Amino acid sequence: MSAWRQAGLNYINYSNIAAKMLRRALKPELRADALKRDESHVRITPWLNGRPAHLKAAGAK
Amino acid sequence: MLGRAAPGVCQVVAVANQQQNRNMATLKAISIRLKSVKNIQKITQSMKMVSAAKYTRAERDLKAARPYGEGAVQFYERAEVAAPEDDPKQLYIAMTSDRGLCGAVHTGVSKVIRTRLQEPGAENIKVICVGDKSRGILQRLYGKHIISVCNEIGRLPPTFNDACKIAGAILTSDYEFGSGKIVYNKFRSVVSYQQSDLPLFSQKAVENAPKLATYDSLDADVIQSYMEFSLASMLFYALKEGACSEQSSRMTAMDNASKNAGEMIDKLTLTFNRTRQAVITRELIEIISGAAALD
Repeated sequence: MSAWRQAGLNYINYSNIAAKMLRRALKPELRADALKRDESHVRITPWLNGRPAHLKAAGAK
Repeated sequence: MLGRAAPGVCQVVAVANQQQNRNMATLKAISIRLKSVKNIQKITQSMKMVSAAKYTRAERDLKAARPYGEGAVQFYERAEVAAPEDDPKQLYIAMTSDRGLCGAVHTGVSKVIRTRLQEPGAENIKVICVGDKSRGILQRLYGKHIISVCNEIGRLPPTFNDACKIAGAILTSDYEFGSGKIVYNKFRSVVSYQQSDLPLFSQKAVENAPKLATYDSLDADVIQSYMEFSLASMLFYALKEGACSEQSSRMTAMDNASKNAGEMIDKLTLTFNRTRQAVITRELIEIISGAAALD
C-alpha cells in the first residue's frame, strides 16, 4: 500500500496535488494559462429522503 | 313594450362605446406589445451570439477531452467487465447543468432516468443529479432516490477539477454500488445530440472480469487507483459532451426564438398599421358627416 493511500487520500486527490505542484513549477508565461485550469466551481450537496441534508458537504475535504 | 326594449338599446350603445374604446386601446396595446416583442427578439439574438461563441470553445475543448472518456470505456470493453448479478445496487448520474433555455437537453437526460426508475428494481437505484435542472425535474417524484446534487455547473466551461470533486463525492459517499451509468448528452453535430451513457462498475466487478488478463501486472492497488481515475475522467468527458450539446442546442433554440419573434413583429406591425388606418378613416368619416349635418 502506498504512503498516500495510507494517509487517507485516494488517487484523485493524489494526482491533483501532483498536478498542482507541476502547474506551479511551470515557466511564468505558461503558468498563467495552466492556473486557469486549476479552478473548480462545483458545489455538492448530499441529499437524504428527498431533502438536502445540511450535515456536511461531501465535496469538501 | 318600450320598457322591455330599452335595456336592449342601452346594451347596443354600450357595446358600440366599448368597441370604440377598445379600438383606441388596441392601438396603444399593440404598440406596447410590439415593443416588448422587439425587446425579446434583441435578447434572444444576443443570447444566440453568446452561445455561439461558447459553443466554438466547448467543441474545441470536447475534442481534447474525448480520449479521456473513450480510453476508460475501452478498458471496460476489452476486459469484458459485466455488472455483478448478486449486487443489484445501481448508481445513475444525470449530467445536466443549471441553465435552461436550451431545448430538450435536460429533459432528455432526466427522461432516461425517469423511465429507468419506473421499471421494476428501482428501489435499488440511487441518483446523483449534476446540475439544478435534472434535480428540478426529478426531485418531486423521485426525491428519495437522489443522494447528491451538484450545482454551479454551466456558468463556466467544466474543468477536470470539477469532475474530480464530483468523483470524490461519489467515492466518499457511503453508497456502495455494483454497477451504474452516467447518463449524458452525446454531441453529434451542431444540430443534433443524443442521450447516451457510460458504464460504471464496482471494483469487485472489475476484479472478476473474464478477460482482465489482457492487461499486465494488475494488483488490487493498481485497479483501485485506476478505477478512481477513470471515474473522474469519464465524468469529465460526460461534462464536456453535455456542455457542448447544451451550447449547440441553446444556439438552435435561440435562433428559432428570434425567428418566431420576427414573425410576430411582422404580424403585429401589420395589425398596428391596419388599426391605425381604421381609426383615421373613422375620424374622417365623423368629421365629414358632422360637417355635412351642419350644412
